[in-house]
Amino acid sequence: MKRFAVVILLFAVALAATVFAPASASAEDIKLVGVITKIDIAGPDATTATATLKDNKTGELVTVIVSDDLTLDKFKDHRIVVGDEIRLKYEVKDGKNTSKYFRKTAGC
Amino acid sequence: MTLKRYLILLSIALIVPFAAQAKDHPGKAYIEKNGYQGPSTCEAKGCHPGTAKKFLGTVHWKHASLVRNVDNLEPGKEYGMKNRIYTMCNGNDTVNNLKEVPPNPKTGKTKFTGCNTCHPGDHLSDVGSTGKKAEAAIDCLLCHSSAYDFRLRKPFKDEKGRVVMGQDRSVKAAMAVGKPGVKNCMVCHEAAGGGVLIKRGFAFAKETDVHAAKGMVCVDCHAAKDHRIPTGFDPNNWANDGVRVACADCHGEAPHKDEDTNRHVARIACQACHIPRTGGAFAKDFTRWTQGSDGFFEPTTLRKEANETPPLYAWYNKTVSNTPAFIGPKGSRGDKGSRIYPFKMYEGKAFFDRKTGELLSMDFAPPMATGDVLAGVASAAKTLGIKEYDPVPGWQTIYFGSSHLVTKEKALSCANCHAPNGVLNFKSLGYSDEEIRKLTSAALYFDKMAEKQKEEW
Repeated sequence: MKRFAVVILLFAVALAATVFAPASASAEDIKLVGVITKIDIAGPDATTATATLKDNKTGELVTVIVSDDLTLDKFKDHRIVVGDEIRLKYEVKDGKNTSKYFRKTAGC
Repeated sequence: MTLKRYLILLSIALIVPFAAQAKDHPGKAYIEKNGYQGPSTCEAKGCHPGTAKKFLGTVHWKHASLVRNVDNLEPGKEYGMKNRIYTMCNGNDTVNNLKEVPPNPKTGKTKFTGCNTCHPGDHLSDVGSTGKKAEAAIDCLLCHSSAYDFRLRKPFKDEKGRVVMGQDRSVKAAMAVGKPGVKNCMVCHEAAGGGVLIKRGFAFAKETDVHAAKGMVCVDCHAAKDHRIPTGFDPNNWANDGVRVACADCHGEAPHKDEDTNRHVARIACQACHIPRTGGAFAKDFTRWTQGSDGFFEPTTLRKEANETPPLYAWYNKTVSNTPAFIGPKGSRGDKGSRIYPFKMYEGKAFFDRKTGELLSMDFAPPMATGDVLAGVASAAKTLGIKEYDPVPGWQTIYFGSSHLVTKEKALSCANCHAPNGVLNFKSLGYSDEEIRKLTSAALYFDKMAEKQKEEW
């Protein structure tokens, strides 16, 4: 009986670990608002860029790969620059943070 | 297909392969030799003579015009972003002029903000200004260069402490002059109302609009003449250059192969079927600002993405009801000039004057720094010379026009409307119970659709 209880307990712990695991371990979208600290883009013909944001809530730096045409174009002509605050949604794909939504929070 | 539509598609087909040639704008050698000084360069050597002066008379410069289709306006007075007060933008160019906001008490930081941030001048020559100085201040390349460096278009304080809007007047930007591309328009128009896609709620991208997917740009439909830009009849977009654009200009009044569908055009606007979704902000509260993680405050806003919100359908005869509680379409089933249009619904909460019932406006600088909304109302009242007022919170409903996010593939079909669970509320559109019973029955189209279904499969 005691062994059965231990097995049940282990099962419950494993289940909880799965359910409450950090989002970065799954394919779920992760959202944050943060300020851009760095943009790396390899020239005008680049098809991807990386942007590093400082999460406003945690202060942690998060680097994401950006590949959507509109945001890349905004990097290229500096409509989005270092210092801009961004609403970001990304997922972890093959161990890399991949942007799914990258928008400036500001407007007029 | 009409002749105009053919011509536009033909132009696109011809222009796209030779886009590179656009770099060879006449006058390139002159610009390389003499540099770019702004409108004077554009007008040199007999090119674009008088254009700057004419531009000062357009809505893009004045942010206002005479408005003839809206109720309760003063005759002879011009209205627009310059002076309007409504609850999507509770401020305007006048009360919320571009300036440095007071330091945030928490962070000590300040920033520049104002409704006229997008005005294509240098802010020293601002909305509606005239004369040679204003002509020289026009930022032609903001709209006409594909190589504009937007880092330079930032407000700053000059040596006299005046707020100046920077411009890119580099030779590099000038050499890339041409017809405005989508980004030239969207750099301002996508961020109106407090953020990306907040006010209009549409993205002009190949994923969201059939015209964009075909490689068209904004000015293919909004084709300007002397910088006067044709616009539609959005009930909330009043200022206009006196020229209009409509789907039928290209597509004609009988654009479908099927005559039954064409019959609908008399009373159903194209947008009703071809723009089944809207997006953007659907509610905003100017009486309660939310503090962001940067310490500054913004009006509390509920928003959706493009194509996430169902529209509301109403009769519209292109005249507008304008009261403190409501801005929206006029029209009815009995009015033969009315058609059913889709509208993006918006509700805004702000302060009204208990004494007059009128909506009060707000200078955003005080609440942005401290969250003190009544200080913003007081500042705006001072600017406008309003000495006595009694602010009370209240709501205003606005119907925004919905003329983008056009789809062919996902357009509404018979069963989307003519069904008991259809998208049209026939009752509110003025139909009797007996008419509704007939209008929401599959009997209307069953045989025809069954035949079509058989052909398709």
